[in-house]
Amino acid sequence: MRALIRAVSGGAGGYVIAAFVTSLITGGSVSDGVPVTFGYIFALLGWLHGIGVWNAWAREWFGLPPKPDNAKGWTRYFTFSTDHKVIGSQYLVTFLVVFLVGGLMAMVIRLELAGTGEGFIDADTYNKVMSMHGILMVAVAVAAVLGSFGNYLVPLMIGADDMAFPRINALSFWLIPPVAISLLSAPLLGSFEAGWTAYPPLSVVAAGDGQLLFNMGVITFGLSSILGGLNIITTVATMRAPGMTWGRLPIFVWATFSASLLSLVITQFFAASLVLIHLDRVAGTTFFGAAGGGDALLYEHMFWFYSHPAVYIMVLPGFGVALEVITHFSRKPLFAYKAVVGAFLTIVGLSSLVWAHHMFTSGMAAYLHAPFMVLTEAISVPTGVIFLSAVGTMWRGKLWMQTPMLLAGGWVFNFLIGGITGLFLADVATDVQLHDSYFVVAHFHYTIIGGSIFGLLAAVFFWFPKITGRMYNETMGKIFAVWVSVALALVFIPMFWVGVNGMNRRVNDYQQDLETANNFISWMALLLGLSFVLFAVNLVWSALRGPKAPDNPWGASTLEWQVSSPPPEHNFPLLPEVVGHPYDYGVPDAQHAVVGGSAKSED
Amino acid sequence: MNRDWLKVGIIWAVLTALGEVAVVTWRMFPEGYTREYEVVDEAYILLMVLAVPVFMFMITMLTYSVIKFGSREQPTEDGPPMHGSNRVIVAWLVITSALTVGILINPGFVGLSDIRGEESSDMVIEVEGQRWSWKVTYDNGIVTTDELIVPVHTRIRFDITATDVLHSFWVPAFGTKIDAVPGRTTELYITTERTGTGEEDLNLRVQCAELCGLGHARMAMPVSVVGEAEFDAWVDEWLAAESAAAEEG
Repeated sequence: MRALIRAVSGGAGGYVIAAFVTSLITGGSVSDGVPVTFGYIFALLGWLHGIGVWNAWAREWFGLPPKPDNAKGWTRYFTFSTDHKVIGSQYLVTFLVVFLVGGLMAMVIRLELAGTGEGFIDADTYNKVMSMHGILMVAVAVAAVLGSFGNYLVPLMIGADDMAFPRINALSFWLIPPVAISLLSAPLLGSFEAGWTAYPPLSVVAAGDGQLLFNMGVITFGLSSILGGLNIITTVATMRAPGMTWGRLPIFVWATFSASLLSLVITQFFAASLVLIHLDRVAGTTFFGAAGGGDALLYEHMFWFYSHPAVYIMVLPGFGVALEVITHFSRKPLFAYKAVVGAFLTIVGLSSLVWAHHMFTSGMAAYLHAPFMVLTEAISVPTGVIFLSAVGTMWRGKLWMQTPMLLAGGWVFNFLIGGITGLFLADVATDVQLHDSYFVVAHFHYTIIGGSIFGLLAAVFFWFPKITGRMYNETMGKIFAVWVSVALALVFIPMFWVGVNGMNRRVNDYQQDLETANNFISWMALLLGLSFVLFAVNLVWSALRGPKAPDNPWGASTLEWQVSSPPPEHNFPLLPEVVGHPYDYGVPDAQHAVVGGSAKSED
Repeated sequence: MNRDWLKVGIIWAVLTALGEVAVVTWRMFPEGYTREYEVVDEAYILLMVLAVPVFMFMITMLTYSVIKFGSREQPTEDGPPMHGSNRVIVAWLVITSALTVGILINPGFVGLSDIRGEESSDMVIEVEGQRWSWKVTYDNGIVTTDELIVPVHTRIRFDITATDVLHSFWVPAFGTKIDAVPGRTTELYITTERTGTGEEDLNLRVQCAELCGLGHARMAMPVSVVGEAEFDAWVDEWLAAESAAAEEG
């Protein structure tokens, strides 16, 4: 806890001193753009210094012995711990909290939209809440599975004792709290109304400092994503146990590896586009201002060059979780394993070539429409392979319908709706009508909740016993799985309808004839929100009071289930040796790995 | 085990038939007023028709597997070790690729050329978006900010721009939209086919569809599609009122 206090005071002190000194130099107010910018940068440095980057790491650079914080027990979750399991848990708890906060924002949005006219919040507040819901949920979808389960499980699943760069791993987590603080405080400083997409000129002209904090928070989050991606790629490439060939990697590892390739390569484009917005705001440049020769469409291209592939950073780890759960709970080998790996890598390649389907109505050159339609629809072929694998694995299996499996089934159903409705937006003739309507809102919620969040939920229940060492309540889990799936359909299916009937998105008011439908959606959204009360109660209660979990409650074959629950500090007492495919269920005498003091072990 | 496939085939065929009947009879789109709207509607129905068999196949496989092979109890033995034969994978890839190529041709390319139509027009109307209203300038000099009136059976080109931030010119009942971008002029063609007024049909409105700040939701203006005689009368009346105002001034 001492580290956390040092970090908070370091951050606050860094902000105050840097903003004050900068304002003296520039001769302006401390709330001007430049002082706020330098304040943020030094707050970030002060925070990182305090949390332990100096003690555990940077001292070495000056020839001093490092002083790592060796806290034990629950306080180690508040230190610069380099244990990938601690970091995975830090990510998981942080992003589950952010997810619930983002969900509360959705409740506020639906309360306002329950009736026409200006309801209980004004237009300004509505835009802030809508923007906040957007960016928080995007962050959750990007990092909740990849950051938490990726960190926790990749080393365990490949038979390593930690990540390749444990201190970079700790750094990538400890960059997150400043992001959360800057995003959550942004609306209080005004000009936070441009949505998570932050399109200029709106994001440049709005007065106030909120947009500045948004820019810097998101850039910091991008840095965390890039470092995390680098770490997972290096870990998978270099830390695999003997015998763990690329063809024997669990599918979740392949999924996180593929998503990490994307985060490493494309995240900087969002950061770069926000740097340009920042410069337009504080340095008087006009990258996006037409009066100064700039062009708003430049931003849209840069933004979507990141933000479309980012959808696959969100859903690829979800694919991995769903297929992992389906194969273990069907007790069958993963169907078409190699084709799935090929599909992941094809998606990585194609996904950065489809961005301009978000811009069919932007006024970009008409000759770009056809090629982007072709590339976008081409991506449905590799995505189709994932579905083939999911149903092929279930077919004639011994399905055990526990909570994780129910949620994996929900993943298939919901992501299927997301994928199919995507065709209507990839097709130019339908997109010109549906773009920026509620049809799009329904579509991307199905894609991201279906692809990423259902993966997250399945992962939470599947690995809960491994991480906490306790079992969750199965009855509550099953009720939740059914409840959340039904409520989701009741919220978002009608949204397709209101979109087709002329309701545009990002509005706090709409035409009178859609009031009944919107009122229904709002009540169903409340139902959906309440399901997460059950989710939270189950997890918190079970983590504290649940029955002790065995090492391998599911009888699963992969390496993380061959160690104790929770795993020992260095994962494996002896280096495991991998001798076979991870999912050879039903194959006589098949074995994935030898763990512990076997004669074959080389350690 | 072939019985499983037979049952799945029958369930799939029945669900697909029901789904196809539903998407063809229950038209999701409300009435439109332009040729372009019909292109959108037809493309939408065609995509629905093509999507139904795929959707139903997955749903059938998923629910059949859960009901037939699922259990509440922990299984005591493993399933058959099927790794997925190359034949199945190749067949799947061929079918999904063929479907993709199919929808790329129609509604893809066909729809794309249909919705654009010819680059000729009977009338040009300039539209300027600014926070939070629309300004419409006709080629005969009429300027309005409270309504958009267009004649029926006319091909119209809108030249659209914005003065401050991004907006998007969307008349839901016209079936198409394009952004209003500061520093650029974007073009949108429509061909009116049916008369109606914004009072009768709330989708006959110019709605801003790109987030533009506080007044975004209410940045809307009613649209009327009127008969040619009625349109001419409106033009004459407007011009007469203007010249009267000019004489008085």
